[in-house]
Amino acid sequence: MPETRSQYQDELDQLEASALGGLDLVSAALGRTLEAVEHQDVELAQLVVADDDRIDGRYLEVHQALITLLATQSPVATDLRLISAMLHVLKNVERMGDQCVNVCKLIPLSGNEPPSDQTMVELILRMGAQTKALIGQAKRAFADRDVELAQNLVREDDVVDDLNRECFRLALEIGDDADRREWAMTMLLAARAIERTADNAVDIGEQVAFVVTGLFREFEDASHPNP
Amino acid sequence: MSSESALLRRSEGLRRRNRVNRVVEISSTIAALFAVAVLLIVVGSVLTKGVDALSIHFLTTPTALFGEEGGGISNAIVGTAIVVASAAAMAIPVGLLVAIYTTEFAPSRIAHPVRFVLDVLNGVPTIVTAIFVAGLIVIPQGHQSGFALSVALAIVMLPIVSRTAQEVLALVPSTLKEAAHALGIARWRTTVRVTIPTAAGGLITGALLAIARVAGETAPVIILCSIFGQGNLTDPSQGLATIPFFIFRSSEAPSPSAHTEAWAAALVLIALVLGLNLVARAFYTRSRRRMEG
Amino acid sequence: MSLITKRTQQPSPAVFAASPRPQLLRREVGNVALEGLDAYYGASRVLQGVSLGFVSGRATAIIGPSGCGKSTLVRCINRMHEEVPGARAAGKVTLDGVDLYDPRIDIVAVRRSIGMVFQKPNPFPTMSVIDNVTAGLRLAGADRGEIEDRGREALVGAGLWDEVKDRLSSPGTGLSGGQQQRLCIARALAVEPEVLLMDEPCSALDPVATLRIEELIGELKERVTIVIVTHNMQQAARVADTTVFMLDGQLVEVGPTEKLFTNPDDERTEQYVTGKFG
Repeated sequence: MPETRSQYQDELDQLEASALGGLDLVSAALGRTLEAVEHQDVELAQLVVADDDRIDGRYLEVHQALITLLATQSPVATDLRLISAMLHVLKNVERMGDQCVNVCKLIPLSGNEPPSDQTMVELILRMGAQTKALIGQAKRAFADRDVELAQNLVREDDVVDDLNRECFRLALEIGDDADRREWAMTMLLAARAIERTADNAVDIGEQVAFVVTGLFREFEDASHPNP
Repeated sequence: MSSESALLRRSEGLRRRNRVNRVVEISSTIAALFAVAVLLIVVGSVLTKGVDALSIHFLTTPTALFGEEGGGISNAIVGTAIVVASAAAMAIPVGLLVAIYTTEFAPSRIAHPVRFVLDVLNGVPTIVTAIFVAGLIVIPQGHQSGFALSVALAIVMLPIVSRTAQEVLALVPSTLKEAAHALGIARWRTTVRVTIPTAAGGLITGALLAIARVAGETAPVIILCSIFGQGNLTDPSQGLATIPFFIFRSSEAPSPSAHTEAWAAALVLIALVLGLNLVARAFYTRSRRRMEG
Repeated sequence: MSLITKRTQQPSPAVFAASPRPQLLRREVGNVALEGLDAYYGASRVLQGVSLGFVSGRATAIIGPSGCGKSTLVRCINRMHEEVPGARAAGKVTLDGVDLYDPRIDIVAVRRSIGMVFQKPNPFPTMSVIDNVTAGLRLAGADRGEIEDRGREALVGAGLWDEVKDRLSSPGTGLSGGQQQRLCIARALAVEPEVLLMDEPCSALDPVATLRIEELIGELKERVTIVIVTHNMQQAARVADTTVFMLDGQLVEVGPTEKLFTNPDDERTEQYVTGKFG
């Protein structure tokens, strides 16, 4: 069969690379965020916040291109599902970037005194590392159209969820000191942001299943716990 | 830079080509003018030489008896009209039916030979047809007649009518016939109510052209219908006066006034033929517009 | 003797009596079924073992690359395929259970139950608008009094009435392309067929005329089973409830239109609808 619509196919491939490249941007941002949290580095945090513009820019650019493709090329079947999935992925990417910003914005609030509970900090760093791994896995699953790898994201996400619950428990037991309690609440917010980031990665996994099978099913997540 | 030189290179043969163009243009214009000139000369000479004898009296008085002067061609006109009308009545229906058969119903292995036969018939010299009819009708009957002439003219008309009709019927777009069939209209009904009306203009053209062609045929007249009584105006079972015969006989007569009368009769004949051709043209144009619309 | 002359409310395989004009039937008629249909032009086989159903009340689109046999397929349904010298069909084609290729069936009656609209509008040039619409009725010997009424209804049904009501006697060929095609649709509808076959009806029309006819199809499909052959996949997607994909004379996939265009089962269908070939 002759190669028709090769320009269109190339463009689609390029946009997919761009969208997935957004995940790389997010992963880097998350890494920097965790470093800022660990060292209470306000300047680094501000850098992350400013840099989120790049992620937003990526979102807008690829989003626009996808809309144009829809209008001009009338994609159907797999192409259509792919474009729909990419629109979702872009949104996830953008949200993940915003979550990193949320964490970074918290740092000055908790930064001026040494952290009250090292354990909690470590938990958060572990959550962050796991989430970073999740993002990488989601990207591979999408690029390879690997449904099993995508479904496995749920189990990896469970780890993050467990760590989050740990944090919550620790925060409850932090004691009566007002400053410590304030610090703990702030840390909880950070943990929550990271947990949301991980959930976004799982959503990307769901899109993988949609592209491959044409079916959309929510993997187990916070609103759909394991039966 | 390079496109300019390419253009210049390609313009090289220009002057030679221009000269050839002009030569071809001029010679084809001359040829066209020549053809038109011939027609104008013929019509012109008939007009100038015959107009003197042309008058209402000429058109409404029967031919003078032998030896007398001052006759006209009224009986010849009537005779020609009757003979040609009878020939048309015989040839046109048959010709149309043959055409319909070959275009609509016959498989091509029958249609092709039929068309070939008609083309051959078209090429048979009219004098041969006349002799054939003489052997068929005149000799057994023992006398010439308008009817025999009609038969001969009908045979001459048949291939003309039929071939023109075939061409026109074949031009009717098959999509029309498809549409009719898809509506559940039977084949013969489609032919009668859709195909023929659509081709009507062209069919009429074919008929009129055939009539115009045979109105002036002289060889059959001489062999089959040259002996007629003065008293017989309309009875085709006997000889009838005809315009071609009048021209023939008048041109052989010694007196110059008879010659002038021959020219006048020729003028009448040409006028009839020209008239029929113009009418045929009008019908054809209308029919073409219909089928393209 | 024809076994199908005109429809009654309840079709029976035996004699159908000429019926008074049926009102809007609840659609238990107009179901076409093909079983193992083969079609030949001379010795060359152009359709192979096609088995397919067209359900009443729906529009079905047939898509596929050039030469895949889609036009041949629809022409086998109303037996127009046989008009071509040397062409023949084998297999079963039934309309509401009656085998249309049964030698006892009158081919003319088949064509009155299954109408057809062609690619290029083809109104009869020697007839006026109203005569065109009623041609099928007049030339099939319908009752005089009814003819005008049915003609008018058909024009209304084809969405053409308002545009031509003041010039019913003007020549049919004087209308615009889109109007002429709707005239042909009205002409086909006037004989009240159960099924309407449309062979690329919009390919000779401009986009606005095309969209009008697509809308019309949406309205008509409740009264007539519609089968539309089209080159234009977006048109199939807009117009049809069911879509059939054909390739090289064979049926590849048939299913609900949304499915064929979002998640087809067969790889070849996927390749075709996404434009990888064809």
